[in-house]
Amino acid sequence: MTPRKAEPSAESGGDPAGEPRVELAGIVKRFGDVVANDAADLRLATGEIHALVGENGAGKSTLMSVLYGLIAPDEGEIRVAGKPVRFRSPVEAVEAGMGMVHQAFRLFPSMTVAENVVYRAETRGTAGLLDRRAAVRAVQDLSERYGLRVDPRARIRNLSVGVLQRVEILKALHRDAQVLILDEPTAVLTPQETRLLFDVLRGLRDSGRTVVIVTHKLGEVLELSDNVTVLRDGRTVARLVTAETTGAEIARHMTGRAVDLDGHYVPGTPAAAVLTVEGLTVGPPTGRPVVDDVSLTVRAGEIVGIAGVAGNGQLELLEAIAGLRPSRSGSVRVGGTGLHGFSAGRRREAGIAYIPEDRAATGSAVAASVADNLAVGFHRRSPLRRGWRLDRSAVRDHARRIIEHFDIKVSTPAVAAGTLSGGNLQKLVVGREMAHDAPVLLVDQPTRGVDIGAIENIHGRLRAYRDAGHAVLLASAELSELMALADRVLVMFGGRVVADLDRADATEENVGLAMAGIPASTGAPGTGS
Amino acid sequence: MTTTPTAPAATPAARARALLRSPILLSILGALLLGSVMLLGAGGNPIEAYAAMVDGAFGSTQWRNTLIVAVPVVGMALAVAVPLRAGVVNLGGEGQIVLGGITAAVVAATVDLPMPLSLVAALSAGALAGGLLGTIPAVLENRLGVPLLVSSLLLSYPVVALASYVVRFPLRDPGTGLPQSRVFEEAYRMPVLFGIGLSAVVLAVVIALVVQVDSRTPFGYEVRLTGHNRRFTEYAGVDVPRMVTRLMFTGGGIAGLIGAMVVTSVPYRYIDGALVVPGYTWTGLLAALLARANPLGAVAAGVFFAALQVGGFGMERETEVPRELSSILQATVIVILAATVAATARRARTRKDTAVSERPSSPEGGAVRTRTGTTSAGEVDS
Ligand SMILES: Nc1ncnc2c1ncn2[C@@H]1O[C@H](COP(=O)(O)OP(=O)(O)OP(=O)(O)O)[C@@H](O)[C@H]1O
Ligand SMILES: [Mg+2]
Repeated sequence: MTPRKAEPSAESGGDPAGEPRVELAGIVKRFGDVVANDAADLRLATGEIHALVGENGAGKSTLMSVLYGLIAPDEGEIRVAGKPVRFRSPVEAVEAGMGMVHQAFRLFPSMTVAENVVYRAETRGTAGLLDRRAAVRAVQDLSERYGLRVDPRARIRNLSVGVLQRVEILKALHRDAQVLILDEPTAVLTPQETRLLFDVLRGLRDSGRTVVIVTHKLGEVLELSDNVTVLRDGRTVARLVTAETTGAEIARHMTGRAVDLDGHYVPGTPAAAVLTVEGLTVGPPTGRPVVDDVSLTVRAGEIVGIAGVAGNGQLELLEAIAGLRPSRSGSVRVGGTGLHGFSAGRRREAGIAYIPEDRAATGSAVAASVADNLAVGFHRRSPLRRGWRLDRSAVRDHARRIIEHFDIKVSTPAVAAGTLSGGNLQKLVVGREMAHDAPVLLVDQPTRGVDIGAIENIHGRLRAYRDAGHAVLLASAELSELMALADRVLVMFGGRVVADLDRADATEENVGLAMAGIPASTGAPGTGS
Repeated sequence: MTTTPTAPAATPAARARALLRSPILLSILGALLLGSVMLLGAGGNPIEAYAAMVDGAFGSTQWRNTLIVAVPVVGMALAVAVPLRAGVVNLGGEGQIVLGGITAAVVAATVDLPMPLSLVAALSAGALAGGLLGTIPAVLENRLGVPLLVSSLLLSYPVVALASYVVRFPLRDPGTGLPQSRVFEEAYRMPVLFGIGLSAVVLAVVIALVVQVDSRTPFGYEVRLTGHNRRFTEYAGVDVPRMVTRLMFTGGGIAGLIGAMVVTSVPYRYIDGALVVPGYTWTGLLAALLARANPLGAVAAGVFFAALQVGGFGMERETEVPRELSSILQATVIVILAATVAATARRARTRKDTAVSERPSSPEGGAVRTRTGTTSAGEVDS
């Protein structure tokens, strides 16, 4: 029903004035009394990379779900090649040439890459059996053509996040997707994986496909996209040609105000040591430890940053300190108290709060209400607890306070936490953990998926938290985040702390070298990784 | 989940719509419809049959029979629902109810106590025995990682066999040839007041306690959150293994109490198989699943199933319709409910995938092992 093949006339650079390949016009979507999309417009040309940006809760994911047939809009029209269409399900959207790379990958863990890619779009051999060889060939063809390096015979469960994402892209391409939708694809990628992904996306654009990418990172928008659509409060407020705009202008459209884009580092005033970790080793009883003999100190009034490519032991280190993972040896002390043998609960009582990396799987119960999610950890103390009872109105008031203080976008505290947009769920977790006012705050990727205004906000709060005399241990995959916050930077590589850099020495270059496993003192300066 | 009265969706119209869309009502209506079709096909009159069924369950004298059946069914529903609230599946009800019953029988046969004390002793001993039996699988899981679901089920077999032995040999009533104990002394008989057995009153107190703890206390709140996401409450510092032990003690204790109360009611003796053959455990399990572990819902579902069974007898007496129709209705309710719940869970998952979660999870209900553990999809309460 729609032309599948791209017209070869596609100029890269994209011309918003031309006939759009896909157009979303006046899309309105309400959830109860929340208006997620409020007359949102989006025009996608052939052969362009189109960035969709906006603050948390602006309605980006909702709009993409409309485009992919996951959500039926209340009002508005979808036009493909000028013709109005209605997608009653993703199946129909796929038929019309849409493809989506899900944030949560929807793959079968025990099957191979090839089997997953061709699933439900397979070539069948004799007797209707799956033609495995044809499947492998199809995957090889696609992955060569677009530089998506994947082993078609590998099993899904053995693959890293970055590779899984490539499999998702292959899956969409195998179904001949002409419009590829990626919702915050780089949130979970390492810088190297991000580079690779961008090369692939550029190749797809040059072959005449359309790529829509949702991201909060303005650097990525400027580097990758041809055009930008900005949503605010569910409404399209700007359509920009990337080459003619700046990060500051995009940010202004997103927030409606001027935003300070690169947060400025403000030094802290460290006092006595609060968190002391000595010789901590984590891992299976035999074999290679995931955290290897790590010692570190965080003083009151200090933010210590942990840099490192994801998967080098940062997560395990923080989990072990928080008591969520047993340690093989070593000690953790808070103030004067040794925490040996302490459960997670007793460690919290001893003064540890923790903002985990995964807000949905660890940091919240998405099916429970926002109020219930915010009450956790406060529910056994006054004022939430009154006698033997949990005081419901105190729970609500407590929730309202954090919602207001952290500017979380939600209609009432009674809605399920899972209905919050990604960034707002993050603010919920950050807000709750900071409200504990614990002397030690462990922080893992605090601004993943969070919009620039909120990043500024969360960074400011982390600094204020430090300045109130608390110790903060911050793991982040964003060098810029560490540069904006950390008073000292540790670099982890292969489970070890390979560099301990003072603020002055923590240049992006030094940190980058150490992250690649090259000791800063002996590493030849010049070519960083 | 705490539903606040200030929620905007709480208008009467919206509530009515929600009720209509509720899978429970849907499944009951669906079952009645299917039953009607079958009755019509067999030349029966559905209206007559259903009327006879209602009369058989709730008629002027019939409701007492319903109550007698409802007590064990509802009790066993709670025995499952209490741990299930935290996502813990207690399949050991059969062993727990039997152990409670035989313990009470042993107390009645061996301890000489005056009236209220005697019953207090028998019921507490039964509850304690059931509770301790319930904690064994919990401890096995916490300490050794043995799946509780499996061990609780398997533990029942030796316990049932042991009770059988006790009633066939040490406790046997030599006067009859049957595997049953002697009739208990007067002091060990549950009194009946205004046609309502004391058992029903005791159970009502238990229900009230469970509901209070579930909905009002910090512990109940932790349990509900654990049912939603165990990893989350562990992260928040809740001692989940200890919670599981307590819940299993409570669930097993309720089952044991029920066993003790059934035994000390008419005919006031322990009869081998009397706690197993009527299938209280499994009907209770279905009721708890039907209510998705909500305690009051489990009570309602338990009463519903008990009424279906008792009403079935009435219907068979009054009309030509065999009482197996009750079983068909019960099964249909379960099947429709399971289907609608699975469908909504699927839809919710699709929505969540694009909006919230950023962990890989497989599409068909499975779970992918991630660095941080498993994220399970489609849990009991999702
Ligand atoms: N299923 C739902 N039920 C209720 N409200 C919803 C639902 N899905 C989204 N919303 C609400 O709609 C609004 C837009 O959400 P959406 O997920 O589209 O935002 P987003 O722009 O993708 O944000 P983020 O950048 O944080 O991912 C939010 O206020 C959110 O709470
Ligand atoms: Mg989103």
